[in-house]
Amino acid sequence: MMSYKTIAYTLLPLLCCAVLLQGCKKWEDSITINDQVLKENLMERIAAEPSTSKFAELVRKAGLDSVLTSSKVYTVFAPDNDAVSKLDPATQNDPAKLKQFVSNYITLQAWNSKTEDTASSYLQMLNGKYHLLHAALMGNATITSGNKPAKNGVYHVISSLLPMSDNIWETLTNDNTIPAVQKAYMLSLFRNVFDPTNAVQIGVDPKTGNPIYKAGTDSVNTNLFWQRVYDLRDESKRYALFVMEDAAWQGATQTYYPYFVTGGMDTTAALASWEVLKDLATEGNYTSDNIPDTVLSKFNVKIPVEGAQIKRSITTSNGTIFIMGKVDISPKNKFQQWILQGEEYTSSTSNKRSNTYFRDRVTPTGIPFKDVLVYNHGTSGFSLGFRITNVHTMKYKAYCVAVNDWMTTNFTQRLSVDSATNASMAYVTVTPNNYSEIYLGEFTISNYRSAMNVYLTAAANTTATTNPLVCDYIRIEPSFN
Amino acid sequence: MKKLTILFLSAACFCTVLSSCKKMLDVMPGDELDQSQMYRNVYDADAAVIGIYGKFQGLAERYILLNELRADMLDYTDNADEYLRQLSNHTVTADNPYASPRPFYEVILNCNDVLKNFDIMLKDKKMKESEYAVRYADITCLRSFLYLQLGIHYGEIPYVTSTLESVEEVKDVKRFPKLSFDALLDTLIKSTEALTYKDEYPSGTSPNITVDGYPTAKWFINKKVLLGDLNLWRGNYVQAATWYRQVMETAANNSNDATMYTMYKVGWDSNGDVDHYISYGRISDATSLVWNTQWRIMYEQAANTKGYEREWVWAMPFDSKFKPENPFVKLFSPIGGKYLVKPSQEAFDNWNSQQQIGNSSAPAVPGLPYDARGILTCQQINGQPVVMKYLWNYLNWSSMLPVDVLKRSSTWFLFKQTHLHMRFAEAANRAGKHLLAWGLFNNGIAGAYPAPTSDVTNYHNTLFEPYPFNFDARNSGSSGIPYYRAPWYRNIGIRKRANLVNYNVAPGADSTLSIESGLINETALEDAYEGTRWPDLLRVALRRNDPAFLADKVYQKLKKDNVPGAEAARAKLMDKSGWYLPFKF
Repeated sequence: MMSYKTIAYTLLPLLCCAVLLQGCKKWEDSITINDQVLKENLMERIAAEPSTSKFAELVRKAGLDSVLTSSKVYTVFAPDNDAVSKLDPATQNDPAKLKQFVSNYITLQAWNSKTEDTASSYLQMLNGKYHLLHAALMGNATITSGNKPAKNGVYHVISSLLPMSDNIWETLTNDNTIPAVQKAYMLSLFRNVFDPTNAVQIGVDPKTGNPIYKAGTDSVNTNLFWQRVYDLRDESKRYALFVMEDAAWQGATQTYYPYFVTGGMDTTAALASWEVLKDLATEGNYTSDNIPDTVLSKFNVKIPVEGAQIKRSITTSNGTIFIMGKVDISPKNKFQQWILQGEEYTSSTSNKRSNTYFRDRVTPTGIPFKDVLVYNHGTSGFSLGFRITNVHTMKYKAYCVAVNDWMTTNFTQRLSVDSATNASMAYVTVTPNNYSEIYLGEFTISNYRSAMNVYLTAAANTTATTNPLVCDYIRIEPSFN
Repeated sequence: MKKLTILFLSAACFCTVLSSCKKMLDVMPGDELDQSQMYRNVYDADAAVIGIYGKFQGLAERYILLNELRADMLDYTDNADEYLRQLSNHTVTADNPYASPRPFYEVILNCNDVLKNFDIMLKDKKMKESEYAVRYADITCLRSFLYLQLGIHYGEIPYVTSTLESVEEVKDVKRFPKLSFDALLDTLIKSTEALTYKDEYPSGTSPNITVDGYPTAKWFINKKVLLGDLNLWRGNYVQAATWYRQVMETAANNSNDATMYTMYKVGWDSNGDVDHYISYGRISDATSLVWNTQWRIMYEQAANTKGYEREWVWAMPFDSKFKPENPFVKLFSPIGGKYLVKPSQEAFDNWNSQQQIGNSSAPAVPGLPYDARGILTCQQINGQPVVMKYLWNYLNWSSMLPVDVLKRSSTWFLFKQTHLHMRFAEAANRAGKHLLAWGLFNNGIAGAYPAPTSDVTNYHNTLFEPYPFNFDARNSGSSGIPYYRAPWYRNIGIRKRANLVNYNVAPGADSTLSIESGLINETALEDAYEGTRWPDLLRVALRRNDPAFLADKVYQKLKKDNVPGAEAARAKLMDKSGWYLPFKF
């Protein structure tokens, strides 16, 4: 069979001749754009539209007319003349503010509003703020005349101005009515952090081969809260930040002082403040009307939000700041236990890999687990080390699961704190085929430690059958008794 | 430019029409053979044989899909089309291209054509009688193998041994009435057993040389295995065992001692590249599983290695250097392939319900609670379960990345020594030799007949049995008197080789049924995705007249993989008519 291509090539010369002879007016007619509006770009259309003429003036004044005449595709939500007349003169006369204002109504790509469509999308405007396009609403503004085409995009006429509020972080910085103590603490958390993105390299260290950067260019000034909890400047997300009134904040931090005993009061206060602060934000679009009585922080701590304690809420462009009478989170709810997997030890007395078995086992009820066994290592008091961080000043209780399923005799092992030879906790007996947790003992930390080691230590002899180490996991839980 | 070409072309056409040029049109094509140039001597005959096998390789993808996807260990992925899903779900419609018997018949008709021409060559004295017998037997056996496959998947099929102009003629029911499966088996057994030659190609003939590092002898069907299979399907158990036993003794007279003790005998060699154990640096230390040699290596090692020679009975290479193209990367690999099929949860559950042998010396740590062959057969790549058996020449075992994206070599693994032992054991079990059958797939012949003392004279053997069940596996150790190293003393048993504890026959259970079920399941664990699962299930279901044996396993696969219609599939397979594909050209 002849392919379409072959046919096309055969007919093409004929067609060409026909076209040449006949002229091609009709053809041109059929592909010509007859709709005048599609020949005009967004700038021309908005200026020509009587109800948006004032907005068009502002676009020109802000210097953004070049954007709307460009070949990229945009959507403009043009406020009508009534709405624009409500704009305060200060903004109109400040070029920077005016540009911010106008770019709050322009977004990339063509977005149509569909009244029958319940789907909604957050659109990022040119100034970085997000507004929700939903049915015939853009944010809270009604679209009075929508889906109007132009050469390079779509525009909609809206009946009121779109809000251009600060985000949570800007509000926290600029709003003087926010309680001062917690605010001051949050604003004090700026640090210089290494970041080579914009660094200027001035040489190479001959010893290490590492680059040398020009002083002052290799770091960025950033807030610890942005880094470790949430970046509250992020316009694309929605957060809730809880700010306690001064007395409540001070009370809450002081509750934590006993758990952060250090050499100096300043350090203690700083650690306790961070402990309180890190759980005072959550992700989600909450208002004082819809926030439940408990929300979860990033660190899975329950934050109690009593309605009566919400003194005020401030709506921002990326969420809500709640001014709270108090947020009562007890240490019991904050301090979480460690579960140290035996096979994930970080150090050992010496390399005994050839005596070490990483085992896949199942409990009698059929639950699979992994553990570590060191057998016939020949070292008296052999130990496996584990690291724990952020250890508070308090008492801890330790447990472990140690399955002795290869001998019918008992042996012993113990947990040692700080040093493998620390005998403050006694040896415990590991009996055959015990798949449940056994209690290892308790220990008390008198000074807060940012990190420390614990060791699972074998019996102090060199007999293979009495000095093995076996461990599924070690569990260390804070004890409040 | 194109327009100009067309104008010239038209002009040229005119010239051609006008001047006529008979001689010009009679030129022989440069790269293809004319009928008159074929079948002139024995080398042409060998070329025809190779040509048939080249066609046969085109069936590899279909063979794996029909025999595995219809069974319980392979399932389709989200990338699979409707037709693959039908195979797995047992809802095959007549228009399903995978279910068409036509590709099988195309190769069968090619075989018929070659056989007819061999006859003509013999008559015209273009081949010697001995040369003729060898090649005729090979092609006949391959055709019987294809008919066996057709019988397995379609039940009743037309049996055609004459040459046909077109494959369409097979549809003519008057000329080619459909044979029942049993009648087909009888016909195949008769024609295949009648062959005068049943060994490999004699060494030195062109089908038994080394090409590009591939000893070609393994490419061709093993005729005795085929005869064993045909008899096993038909229920002639002693006859089947006799054929299998002959293959098991292939190396009985080999001048190389190690080969004599190990080839096709599941025997140890104290060499990881040959032993193919499931092996650990430290028994029960899960992280010390040996990857770079031992069990996994048999799916990666080169065809000219000792390990390959002693393990594989029938295997055909797909090499990036020559055609046809390897279909397995497309089927199985999410990297560079289409990832159309994946291991089923039911398969994982099967491996994970096995128990390994623990450490025998202190510390007597219990064995790991799974079959490590599952790990070496299937891996998670980017969170997706992948059948790895056919990919080890393509993906690096350590990084799971392609060694060379453009080099997609693999092997079509058709039959290995474990298949051989399992089938022999299946026949032996049905012939009443329960303990021997049990030993072969557990801890070996000597393991099944242990010696209470260091004198093994009356143990470690079944010499009291008639052929083919008489094995001598006596091993006196280094201190036993009298001293024995019998031909089968290295036989280790299939589960022992995989470091698994023995399969237990429950007290009071029927030995025949219990051992048979254990054997079939062991083939699943050891030879997963090698194209025998559906036939194994079908054979036992037929033999026991127990559709549930087949239906329940498929049902479990579909249920565990959350495929809708599991109940319907089970109901369909509970009736024998539901076992077969629609026979539609």
